[in-house]
Amino acid sequence: MKRLLQAALLAAVNTAVLAAPSPGTRLSFVACPIIRDTRSVPCWLSEYEGQLYYLTIQSDVSAPVQPPMLGHQVLVEGVVSDAAPICGGVVLSEVNLSVMPERDANCNTLLPADERYVIDFNPRPPGPSSGRLAFGGQARAGGVEPDRPRRQAAPPSGEQMIDIHFDFDRGVSFRHPSDLSGVLARARQVDARQARVIGHRGAHRLSNGTLLRESENIAQRRADEIASLLAGAGLTIPIQKEVRDTVDEADGFEDWRSRRVTVVLTP
Amino acid sequence: MNLPRLPWPLKTLSLASLACMATAAHGERPWWSPGDGDPLPAYVEYGNHAGRLGVLNTDGAIQTRGHAFFEPIGPTGRACVSCHQPADGMSLSLETIRARWKVTNGKDPIFHMYDGANCPHLPPEDPASHSLLLERGLFRIALPWPPRNERGDPVEPEFTIEVVRDPTGCNTHPVYGIDGQRREISVYRRPRPAANLRYVASSRFGVSPFIGKTGQLAAVDPDTGRPVNMNMMADAREPSLRSQARGAARTHLQLGTLLTREQLDQIEKFELQLYAAQVESRHGVRMDEPDGPSSLGPRNLAKGEDGVLGNNTTRYVFPMEDKWALPEGREPANEAEAHRASVQRGHDVFFFRTFWISDAMHINTVGLGNPIKRTCATCHGMHMTGMDTANGWMDLGTTNHPWALEPPESPWAKELPPLPLFKITCRADLPPHPFLGRVIYTQDPGRALISGKCDDVGAIVIQQFRALSARAPYFSNGSAANLRELVDFYDRRFNIRLTEQEKQDLVNFLEVL
Repeated sequence: MKRLLQAALLAAVNTAVLAAPSPGTRLSFVACPIIRDTRSVPCWLSEYEGQLYYLTIQSDVSAPVQPPMLGHQVLVEGVVSDAAPICGGVVLSEVNLSVMPERDANCNTLLPADERYVIDFNPRPPGPSSGRLAFGGQARAGGVEPDRPRRQAAPPSGEQMIDIHFDFDRGVSFRHPSDLSGVLARARQVDARQARVIGHRGAHRLSNGTLLRESENIAQRRADEIASLLAGAGLTIPIQKEVRDTVDEADGFEDWRSRRVTVVLTP
Repeated sequence: MNLPRLPWPLKTLSLASLACMATAAHGERPWWSPGDGDPLPAYVEYGNHAGRLGVLNTDGAIQTRGHAFFEPIGPTGRACVSCHQPADGMSLSLETIRARWKVTNGKDPIFHMYDGANCPHLPPEDPASHSLLLERGLFRIALPWPPRNERGDPVEPEFTIEVVRDPTGCNTHPVYGIDGQRREISVYRRPRPAANLRYVASSRFGVSPFIGKTGQLAAVDPDTGRPVNMNMMADAREPSLRSQARGAARTHLQLGTLLTREQLDQIEKFELQLYAAQVESRHGVRMDEPDGPSSLGPRNLAKGEDGVLGNNTTRYVFPMEDKWALPEGREPANEAEAHRASVQRGHDVFFFRTFWISDAMHINTVGLGNPIKRTCATCHGMHMTGMDTANGWMDLGTTNHPWALEPPESPWAKELPPLPLFKITCRADLPPHPFLGRVIYTQDPGRALISGKCDDVGAIVIQQFRALSARAPYFSNGSAANLRELVDFYDRRFNIRLTEQEKQDLVNFLEVL
């Protein structure tokens, strides 16, 4: 009888460990990504505290959530949703992924296709597209033409604040050409006379309580790089650089926003 | 020297007659010496091992006498045409290089000691001094250290560089070495084709003030002030056709003065109107046959639209329209039909056969994930050329360890590594290279010798796929002697596990481009 009770207790503990947190729970963790092949595009997963989470699928460079990398851990932020599992993983919404810079050879799990898991919502197949990029936009001469309807917005005026976000401990990357071009365009629109480039050092409060800090020099690096690129691309107004440390502000709620440079344009 | 290029009766014809067509006999390897002065017909064909190459000048026949592309400029006796031969798809094949050594006893201007030898200090007439040119088709490219960017500005590199192996003696030489008087790094690269450049130099896709793959500053055309696609040269160090011509005149031609505006105009205009592609296969199949695929042969190539991403099923990279597909279950009626069907299958492997692309810098790092399940056309996506559409440098492993071709090291090995080997150590206070870490061994640091970026080590601008049969060997370091070796490299690098049939079909497809 005692042994039976022990077994039942153990089973209950295991169930508690493996049960996903309730929908709406905000999660922040660092773990290896896992890729699972399917008949169409592969899906990306990650395991945290014994639970498998679905992160995203392979699509193309225009995807709102871009897949992580094997060979590196990934910083995952998201909210547990009540959607049906995908690829065997609990679906996270509001997902933000950041590939950790250092290499980790343990992150090497590529699972074979399993007929139980079907991806039938992929906007583009694993090979050539059907002429459209996955998430709005059409490949054509002259670049990618946005597919979204354009609203006639009022021209900007007055001081402008533009946030440029970064991966953890990283500087400028493929994510930033449109952000940088946007700053140049806005500076022209408001006839900016001065710019402040404020580099931030951020941090993450992980779900297990750990505080994950970015490198101490990252704010300066970001400010220097953004200021240099804007000047090199023809922003001829005076550019003042500042740095801010926001490590103490990390609270586990959308901490990815702390990894940023804020550009302030003053007409 | 004025070697025969055309059957003699054609030389007596007018330019207008030549504008119709000229044909060099099968197997002939016609050589254009600088200053020959003969007209270049509007269309000419040359035989090669895989059939025939067609070279089309859409502006009609041109008079080469006095033309800056064809006249010797500078003290070397070279012209642009020296290394951009029409019969070689406007590049220079190893076969041609060896033939020139034999015919001229090593005195052709292409063997000039500045860059046609492993290093300028070596004895001029010894074939061993030119071994990289004679064995791999490689010219020496001497680049400044520390790096200078496209604008000539000094760049603080993110890495240090050490010479691990110096088989040419150049990188440790007291004059030409990294620590020598000239502070140069010597790498060895194939000349790229000076044809189909309307596509190569197009800035109609993905060009902005910032490089799409890295966010860094895009190079700017010094003549127009506009950003460019940075798809020229192995390392994108020259932003435009005109700046490339200036740079080549300064280095390869050793010209002490600047090219004139008229000379630059001539060269640029000529390069933008020239198309080279295979026009006949080894089986006698014409690429320009009526109702054939719309991408094959130089005339179809000339009709295409530049600045188009072709990795989609509405605008293919190389449109074939299934013209050469055999109905399922039907056997080919003859050798020609079998060849057409193989080319079509090879195209389909190129376009549709998925595999895992992994650890490739500037493709797995641009938001696609690592690995990504895609096809050859993912990287080779430019309509009609198979280059990348913009900012096309990637590390596919051709020059970086562990994938670059190296002879086995053993007590019994007879072959010595022909290329230098560099050890790159990336700064500890910056993120490491995402796939290779902070210590990288490379035969050629590629784009990193211009940008100074650790992430660019071994990243090479993808080459165009046209006129391949006329200009072996392949890759920037000439490490694939033929198209089969090229296919085998990719099969190993990405563990594609192509079948023997798929490999042969791919080779047949690449041969007729």
